[in-house]
Order: sequence, then structure tokens, then C-alpha cells
Amino acid sequence: MGAQVSTQQRSSDHGEVLSVHSLDKWNTQFQNSKTSNKLMVIDFSAAWCGPCKFIEPAVHDLAVEFTDVDFIKIDIDELPDVAKDFDVQAMPTFVLLKKGKERDRIVGVKKDELHRLIEKHRF
Amino acid sequence: MAVSGFEGFEKRLELEFSCHDPVFGIGLREVDFNSLEQVLHLVQCTVVSALGNQHFDSYVLSESSLFVYPTKIIIKTCGTTQLLKSVQPFIHLARTLNLHIVALRYTRGSFIFPQAQPHPHTSFHEEVVYLEDNIPANLCYRKASVIPSKLTSHSWHVFSAALVEYSDDILYTVEVCMTDLDQTLARKFFRHPNDGKNGDSAGREMTEATGINRINPNAQICDFAFDPCGYSMNAIDGDRYSTIHVTPEDGFSYASFECVGSVYDGDIADMVKKAVKVFCPGTVSVATTSASNEMCMRIKNAVEQLGIKCRSWSMDEFPAAGTVVFQTFTSRRNRI
Repeated sequence: MGAQVSTQQRSSDHGEVLSVHSLDKWNTQFQNSKTSNKLMVIDFSAAWCGPCKFIEPAVHDLAVEFTDVDFIKIDIDELPDVAKDFDVQAMPTFVLLKKGKERDRIVGVKKDELHRLIEKHRF
Repeated sequence: MAVSGFEGFEKRLELEFSCHDPVFGIGLREVDFNSLEQVLHLVQCTVVSALGNQHFDSYVLSESSLFVYPTKIIIKTCGTTQLLKSVQPFIHLARTLNLHIVALRYTRGSFIFPQAQPHPHTSFHEEVVYLEDNIPANLCYRKASVIPSKLTSHSWHVFSAALVEYSDDILYTVEVCMTDLDQTLARKFFRHPNDGKNGDSAGREMTEATGINRINPNAQICDFAFDPCGYSMNAIDGDRYSTIHVTPEDGFSYASFECVGSVYDGDIADMVKKAVKVFCPGTVSVATTSASNEMCMRIKNAVEQLGIKCRSWSMDEFPAAGTVVFQTFTSRRNRI
């Protein structure tokens, strides 16, 4: 009951991971990040990568826990140029962005460390 | 040597598969994670961290490592894990993807605490019997052998089986086992109480503090520090892995370094030397599979540059795997 959800809220505010499939969509997200105070966590993954599948549920849990953080998922086969821009060499790679600048990154499945860094950079 | 303690020496299994259909995509990487976890559960280990690239997936386990390539599985476990129990399940999982086993290789050193090992690892004989019972009959090029050294506590056990006879390969494997680690260096692999770190960040710190990240600066590393001590890492570089596991406790200290080399490139000998230097062990054994004599010599010379002397060089030929060379080295403080 109670408040109507604002139609302008992005789906990530409901604790979801937003999959970005096009360059246009990514550019929009990136511009949004530059003008907001919100932490953005980019999950670079690939469909054929076992470790990426392994950590997927944990990333969803983090998105639910940290609703004030934007979670973006990028498939490196769909957006290879973005992966190259961020120098992604192995997967999963998590890049933490604030105001469009990289604050930290994690290469590999490191759930505890990802949780710690999100807490560290979210405010 | 302690009366009992954690067994650092690993058991290593390598399974190779092939498909009748030439277009098999990502092969074994298709196996869903739940199924992998079930097999790992049988072997009494769990996934602690993971990292992949376009060539293969790597997993750091609670008891060593797992590598999954499209047509190859390499699993290495220590402690009292029943590694061979994974053979049937892996063969079965592969079959669901229309992949059939074409070769298998099982290797290990000598256990520090052999009496602590459960079935089927209570003796090499028992392991061989178990393997023969659990692999298909068409892997007919088989051989089991214990390669000795001058040290009674260090032998190299090999069982290999394949569908066809081995022919020259581009890649070779190097398995390094180190015992009696320098205690000052081994202490770097103990967690500090109340360090405010987790296993991931503590592992990263150990990787950098010990220079492990400089063994192959090209590689991406996936590391983990266990509580209260112990360390594991997988490094991925293109289609090649390297892996290090450390049991630092005095009395049964142990560290292993394993990597893959190619006849075309890579200075494996230098990598082996850097890895051994991290630990300054009293005893080192180096087992190579399918490596040239020349490469074995280069590794020997590189290790000896650390003031560790080669005490034995033995070898054996395997119809399914080529030549296995087993060298042992001891430092001056361990002269026999």
C-alpha cells in the first residue's frame, strides 16, 4: 500500500541487474553515471564463461541488498569495444565507477571483496 | 617431520575428450555449474574463487584447483580428498555433451602422511586398480609406474591411458613439489588475526608481498588466503594456466607450482626458478610430462642457480603420455 512508484525510476532501483546490449544504451548509462552520485558496478561477463555463471546469483543478491547502487551487466561479445575500453582481459571483471571514473575493480569471482568494495565506495 | 598434519601433496587428474561432431562450440565449458559442484562434492571440495577467459575456466578450490577447457579437464586436490571418485562422474558429464574420453593421466608425488589417505588412495596399487575399473576398455594404451629418486620419501607416481598412442605434442606440463619451506618465507602465508581482510584481499596481499605476481607478469591471477594459513592461486595467460598451493605450517610445510609450457615460446625454466625462489625449500622435485630433454636441462640449470643441487634424474616412457622426467633437488642445508 502507500506510495506510487515513480515512473521515472530506473529498474536498477528495484534491486535488479540491468543488462546492457547496445552501445547507445551503454552511452546513456555512462552519461547518467557522470552526472549522478550513485556508484555503478559493471559486471563484464561472457555467456561461455563458467565463473561468470557461478557468480551470477551473488551479483543479483548484491543488487537487491544495495538498491542505491546501479548494477550493469555487459556481455563482452555483444559490446567488445566497451570491454576493450575498460581493458577487460579475464572474466568476470567488476568495475566500480563513480561520476564516470573508475574507483576500483575486481578480476575474478570474489564475493566478499565485491561486497566490501561496494560498501567502501557507495557513498 | 610432524607425526600428523595437513597433506600438501596433491593428486592430479587430467582427462582429455573428443567429439565426433566437428562443431562442438565450448565443449565442457557448457557443463552447468550445479553439475560441476556435485562432482566436487564427491571429492570433498568446494569452489572458493574463479576466473575465465576465452580459452578456459579456472577455479580455485578449497583443496587446490580445477581447470575446464573445451575438451580437457584438469583437477588437482590435496589433503585427504578422494580425487579418483571424480573420474566416472566427469566421463558421464562429458557424454551428455557427446564428448568421449580419449586420454587420462593421474600423477602424484609421495604422501607425507600416507596412512591418513582414504580409499582408493591407500596405496598406488589400489589407485591403479580403481582407475582400471573406472575407465572404458578402449583406452588400451595403459601404463602405471613409480619413478624413483635417490630420496626414499620422494617418488613420482604415474598412471596414463589413451585411445591412441602418444605422438609429439606442442605443450608440456611441469609439476613442482617443494617441502621443508624456509620458515621466514612460509610465515608470509599466515593470516594476521584481526587484519580486517577477507580471504580475497588477504590473498591479493600475499600474492604481491611474496612476488608471486612477478612469476608471470602477463597473467591474470585469481588468489585466495585461507584462515588461519594457507594460500592458493591460479594464473591464466592465454590458453595456459599456472597454479600455486601453499601449506606453510612448520613440520609439514609444502608448496606446489605447476605450469604449462609450449615448444614455441615461454621461458618456463625462468618461471620455475622464480617460483622456487618464493619458498627457498629444502627439497624440490620437478616432474615434466612430454617435455624435451633440452627443456628438462634448462629447468635443472635454472633451479641450480638458486644454490639447490640436483640429486637425481630419472625417467620413464608412457605410450599414452610420452616421456616423464622426474628430478629431485636438495639445498645445501639438506645434504643427504
